[in-house]
Amino acid sequence: MTSMAVRLMPHLLAWGAMLLLLARGCAGRRGTVAAAAGAGFIGGIVAAPAAARLLGTDASFDTAKIVLGAAFLVYCAVAVAALYGSGRSSAANWGERLTCSAPVAAAGAFFTGVAGGAVCGFRSLSGSVTTVCAAAAAGLLLLPLMLLVERRLPAAFVVSPASLVSGITSLLLFTSSSLLRLDLFSPLTMKVMKFSHDFVHQFFESMLIPDHLFFTARLWGFVGVLFSNAVGFWGALVVWLAPALLVICAVALEPLPAVAHLREGARRRKTIAAAIRAKRQRLAVPLLALAVFSCAVYQSKFPAVEYWDPKPIQVSASPAGEIFIPKKGEVDLEDGKLHKFLFKKGGTEARFFIVMTPAGGLTVVLDACSICKPDGYGQTEGTVICYYCKTLIPLDTVGRPGGCNPVPLPCALKADGVHIDGVTLVNRWVDTVQATARVGGEGK
Amino acid sequence: MTRRRWLVHLIYRALVYRRGRTLLLLSVLAMASSLATALGLVSYSMERRVAEEVRKYGANLVLVPEAAHLDVGSGGLNFGVVSEPSYLRQDQVESALAAGGIKAERSFHLRGALQWKNLDLMVEGVNFADIRRLFPWWQLKGGWPGASEAVVGSDLATRLKIAPGSALELSAPAGPMTLRVSGVVSTGGEEDNLLFLALPELQKALGLPGELSQVRLMVTAGGGALKRDASSLKKLLPAARVSEVRQTARTSEGLLAKVKLLMLLVTVVVLVSAGCSVAGTMSATVLERSKEIGLMKAMGGTRLGVMSIFCGEAAMLGLVGGGAGYILGTAIAQFITETVFSASAEFVPWFAGVSFSVSLFLALAGSLGPMTSVFTLDPVRSLRGE
Amino acid sequence: MPSIIETSQLTRNYGEICALKPLDLKVPEGEWLSVMGHSGSGKSTFMNLVGGLDRPSGGELMVGGENLLALSEDGLARFRREFVGIIFQQHHLVPYLTAVENVMMAQYFHSVPDESEAITALQRVGLGHRLKNRPGELSGGEQQRVCIARAIINSPKLLLGDEPTGNLDHKSTLMVMELLKELRAEVRFTVIMVTHNQEVAAWGDRTIYLDDGVLVREERVGQR
Repeated sequence: MTSMAVRLMPHLLAWGAMLLLLARGCAGRRGTVAAAAGAGFIGGIVAAPAAARLLGTDASFDTAKIVLGAAFLVYCAVAVAALYGSGRSSAANWGERLTCSAPVAAAGAFFTGVAGGAVCGFRSLSGSVTTVCAAAAAGLLLLPLMLLVERRLPAAFVVSPASLVSGITSLLLFTSSSLLRLDLFSPLTMKVMKFSHDFVHQFFESMLIPDHLFFTARLWGFVGVLFSNAVGFWGALVVWLAPALLVICAVALEPLPAVAHLREGARRRKTIAAAIRAKRQRLAVPLLALAVFSCAVYQSKFPAVEYWDPKPIQVSASPAGEIFIPKKGEVDLEDGKLHKFLFKKGGTEARFFIVMTPAGGLTVVLDACSICKPDGYGQTEGTVICYYCKTLIPLDTVGRPGGCNPVPLPCALKADGVHIDGVTLVNRWVDTVQATARVGGEGK
Repeated sequence: MTRRRWLVHLIYRALVYRRGRTLLLLSVLAMASSLATALGLVSYSMERRVAEEVRKYGANLVLVPEAAHLDVGSGGLNFGVVSEPSYLRQDQVESALAAGGIKAERSFHLRGALQWKNLDLMVEGVNFADIRRLFPWWQLKGGWPGASEAVVGSDLATRLKIAPGSALELSAPAGPMTLRVSGVVSTGGEEDNLLFLALPELQKALGLPGELSQVRLMVTAGGGALKRDASSLKKLLPAARVSEVRQTARTSEGLLAKVKLLMLLVTVVVLVSAGCSVAGTMSATVLERSKEIGLMKAMGGTRLGVMSIFCGEAAMLGLVGGGAGYILGTAIAQFITETVFSASAEFVPWFAGVSFSVSLFLALAGSLGPMTSVFTLDPVRSLRGE
Repeated sequence: MPSIIETSQLTRNYGEICALKPLDLKVPEGEWLSVMGHSGSGKSTFMNLVGGLDRPSGGELMVGGENLLALSEDGLARFRREFVGIIFQQHHLVPYLTAVENVMMAQYFHSVPDESEAITALQRVGLGHRLKNRPGELSGGEQQRVCIARAIINSPKLLLGDEPTGNLDHKSTLMVMELLKELRAEVRFTVIMVTHNQEVAAWGDRTIYLDDGVLVREERVGQR
C-alpha cells in the first residue's frame, strides 16, 4: 500500500503543478478551468484501468502513447507559432484570447485532467480499487489547495499562453516517462536511429558509393558513427527539447518597448528596466519546462524500474554433449520469472535463459538478439527488455524469431526438464554474436 | 549597457584600482587552493600507483615446506631452529607452477650447512641468473661464480676474513669439496651471512638431489592475480605453505600515508591563515571605502544591491584565485610525486572544480564579516566623517 | 502652490542630544530654500531627514506626497533614487571611475545605465571635454559639476545640497550657482541648499535660520 503511495507521489505532485499553471495561466476563468480539470482527472483515472481491462493492456497503453504523442505535436505547433509571432502583438492577443475564452480554456483543462488522471490510473494498475479511489480523492483534494497556493504566489510569476502549454506538456511527458510503457523518449530514440540508418543506407546505395574510389577505410569509420546508438540518443534529444527551446527563444526575442517618445531620460530608463524585469519573469516557466523535459529524458534513460536479471547459473554438458536443466532443481523453471544460464565451452561463454510464457509453456532462448550487441535481457511487468536498445518484448512473443526478440534455441522439453544440445547452443551463440559485432551497413 | 555588464565592469575597475591589495588576496587564495588541489591530486594518483609499483618490486610469494619451522613474513628469513628439515621436491614445484598457469619469475633455494675449518657455514644453493632478476638490489664485488665457484655474503666475508679469489675447503655429507670465492655480495639483509653456490652443486653435495627448501615467486600482475595464484598454488602443492611478502608494500603505503598526513596538516594551516588574511584585508578595504558605500546608499542603492557589488568582488577574486590555484596545484603535485615517489602525477581536469570551490569558499567566508558591515552601514555617519 | 515638503513636529534625537527640536515647515513646489546656521545647528540633520537618509525620531514628514515614516529601508532607497538628488561638500565621487561612469552609477541604481544620456548630461553642465577623466584629474569646480550632473540624471523632484560650494573658490562657486539656477529654470525642481555663506544663501527664494535645532528666523529673499 505504502509502496503504491510512494510511486503515485510524483504523479500527484506533477498534477498539482499542472493545476497551478492552469490557474495562473487562465487567470480570468479559474473556476471553470478548475472544474473542467477535476472532471477530467476523475474521468482519466477511472478510464485507464477500465480500458486496460476491456481492451487489454497493450492496446490501452498504445492508445495512451498515441494521445501523448499527439499532444507533443500540438505543443510543437504552438511553439513554432509562438516563435513566429513573437514581437507581433497580434500573436500575443491570439494566445490571450484563447486562454480567456471559456470553452477553449475548459477544453484544454479537461484534456489535461484526463491525461494526468490516466497516467495515475496506469500507474496504479497493479493496485486495488481502493488505491484508485484514494488517488482520485488525493487528486481532487489538490484542486482547492492549488487554487489557494496560486493566490499566494507573487504577481511576478507570470504564465503566458505559450509557457502554459510548454509547462503542462513537459509535466505530462515527465510523469509518463516514469512508466516504462508510456515512455515516449525511447521509441523516439529508436525511430531516429532507424531513420538515420535507412537514410544513410539508401543514400550510399543510390550513389553507388561502395564502388567509389575515394572512400577509404577511415571514412567508413566515420560513416559507422551514423549507425551507432549515440545518433539515436542525440537526435532524439534535439527533437525532444526543440519546442521548449523555441518557446524560450520566443520569449527572449520579444523586443523591448519603444521609448523614444519619452522626453525624460529617467522615465525612458525606468520603462526599459521594468520591461527587462518582466521579460525575465516570463522566462521562468519555459526554463522550468526545459528542465522538466531533461528530467524526463533522464528518467527514460535510467528508469527506476528494477529489472529481474538473475546471475547466470553455470551449467555443464554431459559427456554426450547434452545440457540438462531440471524443472524443479536449483531454480523453479515454471515460476513465471526468467532464469539465466551460462555454458562454457573452449573459450566461448554462451548465455541463454528459460522463461515460462503466459501461454503456459517453457521457452528456451539465447540471451542475445540478432540485431543488437549481446547486452542481455531483463524482465519486468510481463515483458522482457533488451538492454542495448531498450525495446520491450512481451512475454508471449518470446520464443518467436525476428526483430529484437531473443534468438530461439531448439530444445527438447520433457517432463523432467529441458534438454539442450551443447554444440547447437554454442554454434548459434557464436553466429549471433558475430553477426551483431559487425557494424551494420556495407561492412567494407 | 545592461545592468549585469555594468556590475562586472564596476567590479573589475574596483579591483584594478587597488592593484596591490588585489594581488595580495589573489596570491593568498591561489596558494590555499593550490595546496588543497595538490593534496587531492597526490592522494588520487599515488594511491593506485603505489599499489602497482609495489607488486613489481621483489618477490611477493614464498613457498616453504609445510613442516619447516622457518619464519616467513617480513623481510628476510630468520634462522629459526629447524628441528626436522623438510624439503619441497623441485619437479613437483615446477609441474605445479606449469599446471596452475602461473606466470611468475621464480628462484629456487636450498639451505644447508657445510663444514669449513670446524665451523658450520650456512650455505644456500641458488640459480644465479634467477637471483640477478629477482633481487636486483644485491651488490656484487668481484664476479658472478661459474662451476665450483661460490659467492660469499659481506658479513660472513668480514667475519671470517674471506677475500675474493681465495679457495675454501669445505666438507659436506657427500664428501669434501673445494670452492673458489669469486666475489663478495652485499644484500642489505640477512643473506649477508650466507655462502652462495649453484643449486645443483649444493644438492649433490648435501645428498639431496632435486630438493628445495624454499621457492620465491614474483607474480607480475595486479592484486587480484596474486591472491588467485596463491590459492591455486595451495591447492596444487598441499605439502607447501604459501605466503605473501608484503614488506615493500607496507613501506611504500606507509610512506604515502605519512606524506598525505603532512600535506593535510600544512593545507589546513594554510587554509585557516588564508581565511584570516582574506577577512582582515576585506575589513580594511570596507573601512577605507566606507564613504563610497555611504555614497552608493545615498544615491538610492538598496542594502542588498550595494552588498552584492562587494560580494561580486570577493567572488571574482575567488574565481581567478581558483584558476591560478589549479595550475599551481598541479605543478606542486607533479613536483611532490616526482621527488618522493619518482612517478608523475596524472592530469585530472575535474580537480579544477575542487580548486574553484576551495577558493570561492575562502573568499566568501572570509568576507562574511565585512559584508555584514557593508549591509548595516549608516550612510549619514560615513558621509559625515571627514 | 502645493507643498512638496510638509513637516509637523519633526524631531531627531541622538540619545540624549536633541539635534532637531520639533519643526513645522512647509516647502512649496519649485522653491529654492536656503538653510543657514552655524555647525551643530541641525541643518545637516534636517537635510538628511528630508532626503530620506535618516529616520525621524518623532513627528510627521511628507515629501512628494509620501509619508517617509511608513517606508521600509528598501522603500526609502527607492524614494531616494527616484525623487532626490544630493550634492555634497566633499563631492564623494568614486575615484576609480571616469566622469561618465560616475554619472552612470546613479543610472545603474535607478534602472539601467545609459552612456549617451550621461554624456549629454555632462555636456549640459559644460564638461563635454572632460568625459573620460577620473575625479583626481578634475578641478574642484569640475568635480562639483559632475556631482550636479549625477544628482539630476534621474530627474529628481528635489535637489539637496549640503554646502556644495564649501570647498570651492569664488569663481567656481559662482559658476556652480549659475548652473543650478539655469537647470532649475529648465526643469523646475525644488532646491534645498544648506550653507553658512550669506552670498550663497542669497541665491535662494527663502532662507530659514536654524539654531540648536530650532527654527529662529525666516526671510524671503528677492530673486537674483
